[in-house]
Amino acid sequence: MNLDFTPQQLQFREQVRDWLQAHKPSEPRPEDGAEGRAFDLAWQKTLYTGGWAGINWPKAYGGQGFDTFQQLIFLMEYAKSGAPGDHYRFNGLNLAGPTIIACGDEEQRKTHLPPILKGDVIWCQGFSEPSAGSDLASLKTRAIVDGDELIVTGSKIWTSWARFADWQQLLVRTDPDAPKHAGISWVINRMDNPGMEIRPIHDMAGGSDLHEVFYDEVRIPLKNIVGGINNGWRVSMAQLSFERGTAFMPSQIETQKTIEELIELARNTRLDDGRLAIDDDHIAFQLAKLRAETRSLLAMTLLGISRNERSGMPGPEGSMLKLFQSELYKRITTVALDIVGADRAHLSGLTGRWPQAFLGSFANTLGGGTSEVMRNIIGERYLGLPK
Amino acid sequence: MDLLPTQEQQQIIDTAASFLANEFPIDQLLGAPNSDARVSREHLQKIAQLGWLGIGLPEELQGVGYGLSEEALLFVELGRNLMPPSLLGSVLGGRLAGLSGEHDRMRSLLDGDIKVALAISRAGSETKIGESISGEFLIYEPHEADLLLIANEGGAALLPLKSVQTTEDDRCIDETLGVSSAIAKNVPVLCYLPAENDNLFLRGTILVSAMLLGIAEATLARSVDYAKQREQFGKVIGSFQAIKHYCAEMAVRCESVRSMLYHTSITFQAQSPAGVFDACSLKALAIEAAQYNANTAIQIHGGMGFTREMDIHLFVKRAQVLGTLFGGERYHLRRLLCEPVVD
Repeated sequence: MNLDFTPQQLQFREQVRDWLQAHKPSEPRPEDGAEGRAFDLAWQKTLYTGGWAGINWPKAYGGQGFDTFQQLIFLMEYAKSGAPGDHYRFNGLNLAGPTIIACGDEEQRKTHLPPILKGDVIWCQGFSEPSAGSDLASLKTRAIVDGDELIVTGSKIWTSWARFADWQQLLVRTDPDAPKHAGISWVINRMDNPGMEIRPIHDMAGGSDLHEVFYDEVRIPLKNIVGGINNGWRVSMAQLSFERGTAFMPSQIETQKTIEELIELARNTRLDDGRLAIDDDHIAFQLAKLRAETRSLLAMTLLGISRNERSGMPGPEGSMLKLFQSELYKRITTVALDIVGADRAHLSGLTGRWPQAFLGSFANTLGGGTSEVMRNIIGERYLGLPK
Repeated sequence: MDLLPTQEQQQIIDTAASFLANEFPIDQLLGAPNSDARVSREHLQKIAQLGWLGIGLPEELQGVGYGLSEEALLFVELGRNLMPPSLLGSVLGGRLAGLSGEHDRMRSLLDGDIKVALAISRAGSETKIGESISGEFLIYEPHEADLLLIANEGGAALLPLKSVQTTEDDRCIDETLGVSSAIAKNVPVLCYLPAENDNLFLRGTILVSAMLLGIAEATLARSVDYAKQREQFGKVIGSFQAIKHYCAEMAVRCESVRSMLYHTSITFQAQSPAGVFDACSLKALAIEAAQYNANTAIQIHGGMGFTREMDIHLFVKRAQVLGTLFGGERYHLRRLLCEPVVD
């Protein structure tokens, strides 16, 4: 049981710190989608040129091949430095790329991996459907083999960044007669493919990064199937384990920053009775509890990483982290409303970021698997309770 | 960096778990009223022979020479097995005596010849802990105890139980423990250790949190076992999301507190600036986890959980007692909020 880094690891940390300090963008990421895309790609190019692209990707595929601890150190320093988040780059770097590495063939790897690392392309996901949310395996978007192509008809929903993406990782039903998990394929689709229609969804927090995507006899080459036809469920499961690994470290450090900023806010905000918010017992105890929980998030991450390191694979503990963190973030934003008081109504005011965060926080316990799905996974795979 | 127990540490866990299961089965507690005597003097000496009471003391003080991490791992097992908090009194008392240069007293404590009861200040009483103590106290397990250990953030003291005026055995929420109240006015102590020399109060905080984790894990394990066996509506109840999701919530609390316990045992031992931050966080989380899990376990066990035929209620009660030792939730949350930001 130890928290020590080796001298080499400490030296590596200095190196990461110095590079980020010298190269991170000084201006904030633009709100606008198209400008955001350009910003994300430019930053990815900078990372690539500096030798920091694909920290968890093997060297053979252009990545850095960092070991777990180097990844951990990099991600911690990255988040602390205030460098821009993954944003539109998230999918390619953390989901599509690793899946193609794990399950793709040589041609797919050669074609698709370098552009992700070099900052040439943005990827998105086409998994959920209007009738296939938590029950993802019941998806209906149909793909019929026609010569050396698939003809895809159906619709997808909750696709983040679809209208700014170049490529999509798409789940389609290639065998409607097989049991539901056995008739699915994971395919690579171009977002400018004829027959597609992309409609933004306007969310309750004022954003429009989510989309519905419709497919009307869209043609996709058979060679774009990754991991073999009707094998898509296994391929996408391999990906979900990436989704809950160290890739979530940055958002955990974000959570720590957020709770400290909120405590600072409470030290400087007066309640309607004239007292400072921090002097209110109810607020103070809630803040302290959130601070303790956020601290344990870090410890849980380190324990999870230690376990992965020994067993060589992420376990269902990842679902515990996802559940704990997303529920915690929601509680943080609710306490924030208590602190800003009536100013919660003033979205464009000085403290407007807090009610804005509250509105956005609902996505955390829905996206990437709802809290209820997480609790099922914990109950069934970790505790061994029956379905 | 590796937060998991080493092989040697795992051995400590395994040895403790099997010894406790054989020597102190929890069944013993069912139907046995006030069993302060569950750990008799002979038992205490037997435990002492395993080296447990001096596990975290340096070898130059005749201890086993392990650190706080190993001590904490042992206390998780003690908590899981509902072993009495006076064992914590013996461990901390031995440390207090040793670090105060009272080697003979330390030896008798580590050998289990002396039983140490833990005392806490009663709310609202003016308490002073130093070379002499004053205040109103609640004493757990006064039966057959020789010494009293009392600590606050300023320091910790050992004194003879007989030197304070105590009530007869009162009823404790936890029927397996005795309790009495005491009043002290300028009672001289046998030894006093200021917190700046060695913070026994926060060490106690961490170790009692370990015991609370044991409760949280034991009640999760019992609930999961029961949910896999008990059938209603033609299915085991663990297949219902209402029950499954309770269990998942209990599991997350165990994971959170176990991670924090490991983390804190390292930062506190290393006297890192994060030590106090971590200890306060840990205790608040451990209280919540033990109480949530034990209370929820009653619900999962249904009507049977409410009876004394099952042992779940003992965990509910013990969680309440342990929560009062070395600072309750409000104390630690308040203190945590005053700590500077840590990395």
